[in-house]
Amino acid sequence: MRDRAGPASSAVTVAEPERPQFDAIVVGAGPAGSAAALELARAGHSVALLERGPFPGSKNVYGGVVYGRILDELIPGWYDEMPVQRWVTRRQTMLLDGERSMTVDFRSQSWGRAPYNGATTYRAEFDDWLAGHAQKAGAVLVPSTVATRLLRTERGRIVGVRTDRPDGDLTAKVVIACDGVNSFLAKQAGLFPGDQAAHTTLGVKETLALPARTIDERFGVSGHEGVDIEMLGCTQGIPGGGFLYTNSDTLSVGLVLGLQGLAKSGKRPEEVLAELKRHPSIQPLVRGAELVEYSAHLIPEGGYDTMPQLVGDGLLVAGDAAAMCLAAGIWLEGVNFAMGSGMYAGRAASKALSSGDLGALREYRGLLESSFVLADHKKLRKAPELVLSERVQQRYPGLVCDLVELMFTVENPKPKPGVRKLLRASAKRNGVKMRELARDALTGLRSFG
Amino acid sequence: MAEPLRPLVVALLRWTDARARIDPLSGEVETDPRGAGPSEADRCALEHALRIAEAAAGRCVAVTLAPEPAEELLRDALACGADAVLRVDVPSWDSRVPDSGATTARALAHAIRTELGEPSLVLTGDHSADRGTGSTPAFLAAELGCAQALGLVELSYADGELLALRRLDRGRRERLAVPLPAVCSVEPAGLRLRRAALPSTLAARTATIPVVTGSVAAEPVTAHAARPFRPRAKELPPPPEADPRLRLLRLTGAHEHREPPRVVVTDDPAEAADELLEYLRGKGYL
Ligand SMILES: Cc1cc2nc3c(=O)[nH]c(=O)nc-3n(C[C@H](O)[C@H](O)[C@H](O)COP(=O)(O)OP(=O)(O)OC[C@H]3O[C@@H](n4cnc5c(N)ncnc54)[C@H](O)[C@@H]3O)c2cc1C
Repeated sequence: MRDRAGPASSAVTVAEPERPQFDAIVVGAGPAGSAAALELARAGHSVALLERGPFPGSKNVYGGVVYGRILDELIPGWYDEMPVQRWVTRRQTMLLDGERSMTVDFRSQSWGRAPYNGATTYRAEFDDWLAGHAQKAGAVLVPSTVATRLLRTERGRIVGVRTDRPDGDLTAKVVIACDGVNSFLAKQAGLFPGDQAAHTTLGVKETLALPARTIDERFGVSGHEGVDIEMLGCTQGIPGGGFLYTNSDTLSVGLVLGLQGLAKSGKRPEEVLAELKRHPSIQPLVRGAELVEYSAHLIPEGGYDTMPQLVGDGLLVAGDAAAMCLAAGIWLEGVNFAMGSGMYAGRAASKALSSGDLGALREYRGLLESSFVLADHKKLRKAPELVLSERVQQRYPGLVCDLVELMFTVENPKPKPGVRKLLRASAKRNGVKMRELARDALTGLRSFG
Repeated sequence: MAEPLRPLVVALLRWTDARARIDPLSGEVETDPRGAGPSEADRCALEHALRIAEAAAGRCVAVTLAPEPAEELLRDALACGADAVLRVDVPSWDSRVPDSGATTARALAHAIRTELGEPSLVLTGDHSADRGTGSTPAFLAAELGCAQALGLVELSYADGELLALRRLDRGRRERLAVPLPAVCSVEPAGLRLRRAALPSTLAARTATIPVVTGSVAAEPVTAHAARPFRPRAKELPPPPEADPRLRLLRLTGAHEHREPPRVVVTDDPAEAADELLEYLRGKGYL
């Protein structure tokens, strides 16, 4: 019977291979895996890049925006060749409450020019492009192949992986697990301390087709300019948030929903999404669009405090497999963190292979700490908890909408009330104590500031 | 000592995007090479080819007439155990050359003969997933001057004899002894393409894929006139009845006896399955 990856699978004990088939095996040709394979192949090491899908990106789901700055280091001039839908020149943060919404809208035309900032891109195109670079550098891409188990020596050193193909054991000096969220390989290696369900969300997304010109008109952009909208208060009491991004001739609209909250609510994710699409602030943007794809995927949202050990004996973990997706309310960045961690994993592995001292794999953590990957996560370690808290999720959007509504409702002949008084009234109406507000503001300031 | 000539078994694989998008307004077909590959029927043909080549101590060669991105499909065939592969590239992938079974068969027959030699058996899927005429194998048999057996559901080779089973109407089957050389097309039934082992998959990743330029000696299509197709009007005499109601009934066939549709009203799966089986039996399918 075909071997399968799964929560019940465990590592297999094998004899130390005399001559490993590859210097390194990278499992998963997502952004983390391809970046790792690219670094290793460029340094002249032999690398197998295993991917369970028929081509890189075929199985991958995300919202839609890639922040490519880290690519400056990995693929200089990337923005002239990366498959881009639109360059994000307009970013909005929207708080929704009932029929109301409050939006902070920022636009910068410079984000639409080199060296750019963020771009919407389809994963089937982006991942394939990045893996193509790894292949050109010499990595051997092995598609339609699932790594099901780790191969481990009696002494506990990881020396390869078993795949779901006949005769499917593959050996190497180093294995890099970039197999995404809920990494069975990292779990098999015993690197995750406990249950991840509380720190995992479900992302669901609809891709909706609209003519490019309609998108331009509805979103106030033109040509290659695009819009990124992040939302709070749109998840019917389930901890999470929403997003809406513009591609050339499609929109990506979706939700991120806390797994446990979703299960407790008894709601179906597509129902919650359908409700979001009916909101008066969203409905005019998506009206008449044709649904071309519905997809769902897990996201590791716990951040710094929920990361596994990053280094095992002969094993490194990068990207979502190491819970490195940054999901802190106004930020949902996973691809750049995956590419960054993959690149540093590749570098650490390359150094260890060149020096012949696998102990050098431990330098991986240091590389991450001195880069944005762990620095940002460390700084924002309290952010996921704050953003997913009941107050931020259920009371603050109402508070903000009340405050703004009271401020802009003209009650002549009554004189305009002071903002402080309105804030107190709005807080009271939404069950928020001023003390809690001050405490959250301080936590927010410490995290985001 | 020269090696004895091994019978050549060719598996023809057509490269298609089974999930192509069609613009409902312009009719334009949008394909994605990354999602393209052989149809289930072609995969089945490859498995037959591998088994028959093994049984006949022959050589199995997978051939496709397709542009470069189709080489993935040939790598997969190599990984599954094909002894060799060949891509026939047509430089004139241009719209003037009609993508028809006849031109495809001509280019393939030429490439097979010149590059691989005379085949003992050519196997392919019954219908391509995109064009779907099923005519290529018939044209190919004519080009190669050999027997043809099309739309097979079973195929076996033993003691130099090729036996085939073909589906007929009303659930009947036709058993054929196919003389060789032959071109056979198979339905996607009965067999599944084997899963390639890891070592051969790895070897295939870096294998060189031989390419020949196919000669498509087809006349370019010339449009002499462009006007919409208008079927000629057919005269139908009115029904003879004088009463307009009877005439209407005659025209619509409203009161004619028909077998009523069978509505399955049970929600018990076992009962529903029994009902369905009885229906199929009644229709002669079982
Ligand atoms: C709905 C949603 C919206 C998101 N929005 C954004 C966004 O807008 N911007 C952003 O930057 N990030 C976003 N993210 C996060 C982002 O998608 C991830 O952080 C990122 O993809 C992580 O990259 P990775 O390479 O670590 O993992 P993945 O992208 O998950 O790649 C893992 C790869 O490994 C393969 N694989 C898994 N297991 C095996 C195995 N056993 N054997 C072989 N191959 C295997 C998979 O097929 C896959 O190709 C979003 C995520 C979701 C779900």
